[in-house]
Amino acid sequence: MAAQWEPPAPTRLDPVQPATSARLLVVPALVGCLVALTLGIYGRLHSPTGVAVDVVGFSSPATVKAWLATVAVLFAVVQVGSSLVMYGKVPWISAPSWIGGLHRWSGRIAFIFTVPVVVHCLYALGFQTFNARVLVHSIAGCLFFGTFTVKMLALTRRGMPGWALPVLGGLAFALLVVIWFTSAFWFFSIFGFRR
Amino acid sequence: MKIPTPIITLIVGVALAASLLFSSMTAVSAKKAANAAAAASAAANAGAASTATAAATSTASAAQPTGVGASATTARSPSASPSPTTSLGFVIPPHANYAGKVQGNEGSVAIVVHDNFAIAYFCNGSTQEAWLKGTPHHGKLSMTGKNHASLTANYALGHARGTVVVDGISHIFSIIAVHKPSGLFQSIAVVRGATIKAGWIVLADGTQVGSLEPNANSADPSAHAAPKLDVSSLTAQDGGTTLVATPIDAETGSGF
Repeated sequence: MAAQWEPPAPTRLDPVQPATSARLLVVPALVGCLVALTLGIYGRLHSPTGVAVDVVGFSSPATVKAWLATVAVLFAVVQVGSSLVMYGKVPWISAPSWIGGLHRWSGRIAFIFTVPVVVHCLYALGFQTFNARVLVHSIAGCLFFGTFTVKMLALTRRGMPGWALPVLGGLAFALLVVIWFTSAFWFFSIFGFRR
Repeated sequence: MKIPTPIITLIVGVALAASLLFSSMTAVSAKKAANAAAAASAAANAGAASTATAAATSTASAAQPTGVGASATTARSPSASPSPTTSLGFVIPPHANYAGKVQGNEGSVAIVVHDNFAIAYFCNGSTQEAWLKGTPHHGKLSMTGKNHASLTANYALGHARGTVVVDGISHIFSIIAVHKPSGLFQSIAVVRGATIKAGWIVLADGTQVGSLEPNANSADPSAHAAPKLDVSSLTAQDGGTTLVATPIDAETGSGF
């Protein structure tokens, strides 16, 4: 081994500005794309069974999903509210110490509530395109889980640009509301509030 | 190394999804096994249609799998047998088209419900086929056709399941709601005094299966494979005759 040790090329660290780089988002974004594509392709290729496991206490899979999605959206509203307080965007409220915990737990609960819904959607119904509502719902559903994955992965990285988390969180919230509007809202508006 | 909490959130979500998917798959595959057994007993009883139906439904209900518990939700298997309690409270659409293959891939069935009338068609793309009529009643269908063909089903928003008996052979199905251009199509034409009646089922994936009765007015009409239906022009070429098909569609009520 004749290789000689060479000192690393001198790099000048800027002591004033903390190093933020949008390039840190590349890997999370790629993983998120992969998640969204996987869900979409699975939903399209897998032939829908029409049935999956049912949840006790509800009359049909459609009502279960409508209620689970509604609960998820309510927790997502808590998400947006708590993040606004955390970022100091609500001038008359100073962030209490538990706001971080509230934000994290409301997000976890909202996410967990969406999981049975997406499993039923993809396994029993699939990615469908037969009208505008269903097409928008299918696309938004895939994008939501991609965006959520990007946000979760982005949280673990230090040195993200400041806009990254608000944009990702806002996008995930907007997509969730689109999903809810094209499914649960549609369902309740046609069939009424039923269990 | 400590795993960051957002990653734990993702892992928990994936684990929950996987367990729900797994329990769905076991529920469905257990049902398939039950249906295979039912089909075997149905074949043994071929000719005695009523016995076959009873055997099929009882086997399916006896072999109901026990649900695999998942952490956030209590899972249970979807009910394979038509039972009145589980259908109560289901969302029953007034208009619905259902189409799909029967278990064991021995043919396809389409059911069209329009207000208080329902039309169904079973066909294997060859000699076995039957048109059935019936009246929907709170999400339940009991339909009859020529040559002792019968169909019983439960239907709700998005899916229908039940049993169809054609030529003494019982088939179990669990099919989904379909929309244009999928669905049920029919063509009736009178050529040289004989009524030709053809039916096509276009499945959700675009594949079609169809049969043609060259003399539909007989008590037990024979059938053979129908010529391919052109879904865009709704025509099919049967030798020198052009058959014009009508969709039997729940949403528009056409064909009723």
